[in-house]
Amino acid sequence: MTTKAMAVPTRQIAFVVDLNKCIGCQTCTVACKRLWTGHPGQAFMYWRNVETAPGQGYPRNWTAKGGGYKDGELQKGKRPGGADYGVPFDFDYEGRLFQGKADRARPSPAPHSAPNWDEEQGAGEYPNNHYFFLPRMCNHCSQPACLESCPNDAIYRRVQDGINVINLDKCKGTGSCVEACPYGKSFLNMADLKGNKCIGCYPRIEKGVASACVAQCAGRAMHVGFLDDMNSSVHKLVNVFKVALPLYPEFGTKPNVFYIPPAFGPMVEDAQGNPTNQAKIPLAYLEQLFGREVGSALALLRSERSRKMSGMPSDVMDTMIGARSADMMISPLT
Amino acid sequence: MALRSRRSFLKAAAATSVGVGVAGTLSFRALAATDPGRDFEYSGWEQFHREQWSWDKRTRGAHLINCTGACPHYVYQKNGVILREEQSKDAPLLKGVPEYNPRGCNKGECATDYVYSATRLKYPLIRVGERGEGKWRRASWDEALGMIADKIVDTIQKDGPDAVSVYSPVPAVAPVSFSGGHRFAHLIGAHTHTFFDWYGDQPPGQTQTCGVQGDTAETADWYNARHIILWGANPSQTRIPDAHFLSEAALNGTKIVSVAPDYNASSIKADMWVHPKPGTDVALVLGMANIILREKLFDAHNLKEQTDMPLLVRSDTRMYLRESDLVADGSKNRFYAWDGKTGMPVLMRGSWGDEPEVKPAVQPPFLARNTLTFPDGTLDLGALDPALEGKFKIKLLNGKTVECQPVFELYRTRILADYTPDKVAAITGVNAKIVAQMGREYAMAKPAMIITGGGTGHWFYSDVLMRVFHFLSSLTANEGKNGGGVNHYIGQWKPVFVPGVAALSFPQGAGKQRFCQTTIWTYVHGEAYDGMEKVGIDTAKYLKHALDTKQMPIYPRDGRDPKVFICYRGNFLNQAKGQKYVLRNLWPKLDLIVTANIRMDSQALFSDIVLPSAHWYEKTDLNVTEEHTFINMTEPAIAPMWESRTDWQIFKALSKKVEEAAVAKGFKSFFDEQFKWNRDLSTLSAQFTDNGKLDTDEAAAQFILDNAPQSKGITLDQVREKPVRFKANWTSPIKEGVPYTPFQFFAVNKRPWPTLTGRQQFYIDHEVFFSLGVELPVYKAPVEADKYPLRFNTPHSRHAIHSTFKDNPLMLRLQRGGPMVEIPRVEAEARGLKDNDWAEIFNDHGKVIVRVKVKDGEQPGRISMYHTPELYMDLIEGSSQSVCPIRITPTHLVGNYGHLLFRPNYYGPGGSQRDTRVEMRKYTGTVTKQL
Repeated sequence: MTTKAMAVPTRQIAFVVDLNKCIGCQTCTVACKRLWTGHPGQAFMYWRNVETAPGQGYPRNWTAKGGGYKDGELQKGKRPGGADYGVPFDFDYEGRLFQGKADRARPSPAPHSAPNWDEEQGAGEYPNNHYFFLPRMCNHCSQPACLESCPNDAIYRRVQDGINVINLDKCKGTGSCVEACPYGKSFLNMADLKGNKCIGCYPRIEKGVASACVAQCAGRAMHVGFLDDMNSSVHKLVNVFKVALPLYPEFGTKPNVFYIPPAFGPMVEDAQGNPTNQAKIPLAYLEQLFGREVGSALALLRSERSRKMSGMPSDVMDTMIGARSADMMISPLT
Repeated sequence: MALRSRRSFLKAAAATSVGVGVAGTLSFRALAATDPGRDFEYSGWEQFHREQWSWDKRTRGAHLINCTGACPHYVYQKNGVILREEQSKDAPLLKGVPEYNPRGCNKGECATDYVYSATRLKYPLIRVGERGEGKWRRASWDEALGMIADKIVDTIQKDGPDAVSVYSPVPAVAPVSFSGGHRFAHLIGAHTHTFFDWYGDQPPGQTQTCGVQGDTAETADWYNARHIILWGANPSQTRIPDAHFLSEAALNGTKIVSVAPDYNASSIKADMWVHPKPGTDVALVLGMANIILREKLFDAHNLKEQTDMPLLVRSDTRMYLRESDLVADGSKNRFYAWDGKTGMPVLMRGSWGDEPEVKPAVQPPFLARNTLTFPDGTLDLGALDPALEGKFKIKLLNGKTVECQPVFELYRTRILADYTPDKVAAITGVNAKIVAQMGREYAMAKPAMIITGGGTGHWFYSDVLMRVFHFLSSLTANEGKNGGGVNHYIGQWKPVFVPGVAALSFPQGAGKQRFCQTTIWTYVHGEAYDGMEKVGIDTAKYLKHALDTKQMPIYPRDGRDPKVFICYRGNFLNQAKGQKYVLRNLWPKLDLIVTANIRMDSQALFSDIVLPSAHWYEKTDLNVTEEHTFINMTEPAIAPMWESRTDWQIFKALSKKVEEAAVAKGFKSFFDEQFKWNRDLSTLSAQFTDNGKLDTDEAAAQFILDNAPQSKGITLDQVREKPVRFKANWTSPIKEGVPYTPFQFFAVNKRPWPTLTGRQQFYIDHEVFFSLGVELPVYKAPVEADKYPLRFNTPHSRHAIHSTFKDNPLMLRLQRGGPMVEIPRVEAEARGLKDNDWAEIFNDHGKVIVRVKVKDGEQPGRISMYHTPELYMDLIEGSSQSVCPIRITPTHLVGNYGHLLFRPNYYGPGGSQRDTRVEMRKYTGTVTKQL
């Protein structure tokens, strides 16, 4: 439990990621990168990334890095190394293309790791290999380990929307938030020794515009809104339908990013190529990610889709379809 | 504030010495609903990020590349520097379907990178090293264009105008830019190129069946389907802006089936994943048809009314029974069915031999002939009941009696005998029960749609596959229905307003333009080897016949070589199948290679003169697609950087230079015998601009809109305001608020299909079709001319659009830093290969050495290398096209059969590469400097 005195937000922004709609296209990754992290020292950091699950993730093996809370106690986790993030490749195009340098324009450093290194590799053997795409960002937790860990009180929760940000004037670059965040979503900018993380696109939120990863999502897989807004899709999906769940709830930070688990997809095949009645993504794996409630969320999602398949209406499916973007987010328009 | 100076917006901003100021236009009101009305201690600091999300100017932007997206964007600029782009999200809404917004993708959201990229071309360059070496000297526009103009005039004098070759693809992407070089080529008599067929994207099977260049539903219509088969299509990866309609359809209760050898990013969301052996799809389709026929799940009335299924075929000659067989002076282009009511053969209406009372004023290039002025209901059967089954004895004009059978009887017999689910299972590796289930579910869902693309379209016998897709769709009466039909999504091939583009590109008419067929051009001038003799197909024989009889064109004529090659907004060399032959045999024939582009791609690198063109955010152009029905545009956010110019301005300037060179050399005009055209080079620049009326890119864009019925009355200003929907389209009407789906003029209005028989035509009684055994669409195994064990697949990547963005550092950081080949674990283990090893991939046509990624979702027996990395990227040797030959399917050379005729990008050989086979082994050499 956070022990520090903390301004309590009067409202809470929440994000919902629909894993049934995410197509792994990385548009959000790029939108975020080009809006916020193009400055010196930031090339390696992806406030927003999409990884293949099961997989090593970004930063590599983040699920085992530690941090968060155990039995209410703040845990000091590990600080990922450069290779865990992937050292950003550079290319000497100038030399090869304009100065007659003989070799090809090769990536430097030589490729051994990268944020999306194991894209689509997943687990299991053909034809029963399986994977899905898992977008990740700062969870803007209600019990943020980063905040409690900061010795300089540089991290705070914004009162008006519950977005967690690092005050760069106060930050002294101790990196404690990098260690404390169990999701690997606090970064240390080595160029200026400041902590950097997702700011929830608060300048957009303040103007009534959805965050870039939501407004620019080509898969239309993202929702953003205030949890206390009874008309918002995030409220319905999280609180009413209860199909959107936090990632690794046992980390104890109370995330405000919620995931609709992947409920559909081909079944496991037997040796003759006949589909069985077993989903390719093992339930145990989804429980590991989203906790025990995932089973009932999956059951609801499947039964609601069955209703649609037999021509009956479904509020749950319609909310996920989000025929109009304005129904999925505060305004998408910039 | 220290923070601000430390964090400049862009390195480029610093480079231009422009400070990062606060945009005065933004007042940071607290959002009323969220403001607790309390001061917050840190709020002063928050201003820093607010400033990052601010701009001076917002302009329209589009990405002028062959990606099919045509995604409306805004481009944000501050202090003269482009910061970023974001989808404008204002594509108009259609009824009953989710919205198109926000259309975009990972590439589109970093398109600004190319403005400031290290690969950006800044100045005209003249080669000083070897081609491909990357050694240049900077030249002025005056010098570079002067050299080109000199060479062009000399070549026209010495070798003829048709020795000048001008290549630029995909007008839909950027019709003004496209038209620049084509208008120039048209006026000097140079030959231009086809591209849609050369890329393997033109669906010849759809032309054979439907008499059209191709047509597809806009992607919002996917949502209207109740059953979708993604046949070899992976929209999650290759149609990123459209893929959401699939997941939304699924959530709305649509069943999704994915047919693909690999467990791809779309298969993972499907209800059923079917993974046949690559290239056996026709058998799988016919297995479905077998069930549909056996269980009588088909719509016989639709077959009788809309297709050639009732038309009679002579058993003696295997030819259609024609009017000329029965009637003195009868037409060879009128066809009979057997009327069950009268027991007589009856001529079916709407065939090629019938003329409408109202003669069409125009011949649209996308229809074999304009059948749209036939009255509605021409195909209506009225009192007729054409037989689909039976054998009928018919007495011919010459007194002979022959037995005739309807096409349906012929085809059904073969399908029932040869494509039982068990036999299909043996061919495809798909469980027989699954085959039957696929057939039943497809037939019973209404409407049911097939979505396909390059995965099925790039095979040697891809035309047969498209024919059987249409057969399935016709059997079940899904053609012309919203949510139904066969939709192929390939390149951004469809300039809906094509008459306007043609008018701008070819002011004297397309009939006076030399079009070469690029597959043939490359095969012939590149002296490409295809190995087809190993499977008993003599390409040379078919090709010689097609050229000798002028069924297909070749330029220059009479066995001469091309001398000058001008390529703009295209990466011809890098994309060329048979790349090894192109470099070895075609390149040396070219005295001068000129390339204009925004960046140094492989085509530019291997050129003699390189011209810098303006980035997509530095010019005005239109941008349209087949994936939606809105006109999108781009406009200059900033002036063209460095010395770059728009394509339109480059060719305007080149026209002036050619005019000057012609006058200086005393070669002011020449008579072009082929078109009886006295070409006056001394007034070339006035001809190019139509005496100044087309001076600007904006004027050219408006000219296109004004000169096409699909867009007449729409102004550039309206498109700047927001994307505007086309007023009309190709084979169906545009209905307010309703997604466009093709073929309704035929399927719903019952006007004749533009084929020889006036119907969807599955039986093609042509000698070449007979010689290959495909007069009816039946399964043909992939051609196994490469005697190697692994099928070589070259799919599109999510991180690039062909070669564009292949070099983008951000995209490469989100991959593995360079090109890779994905291989199944068993194939890797069999060859001692581990993830991230270098491997040599080879066959008789060439070699590529590339890094390996082990992928458990890939089917054993196949490897996939995302196609066409640049030749200067992180490969040790070659590239994906190094092992792909050019293979010409003989049926694509037919140009003397009703609706099968050469017209640029309408019909012609595609140069398939999916049949390619290779072997691979671990590469143990060093990372050499060899290119």
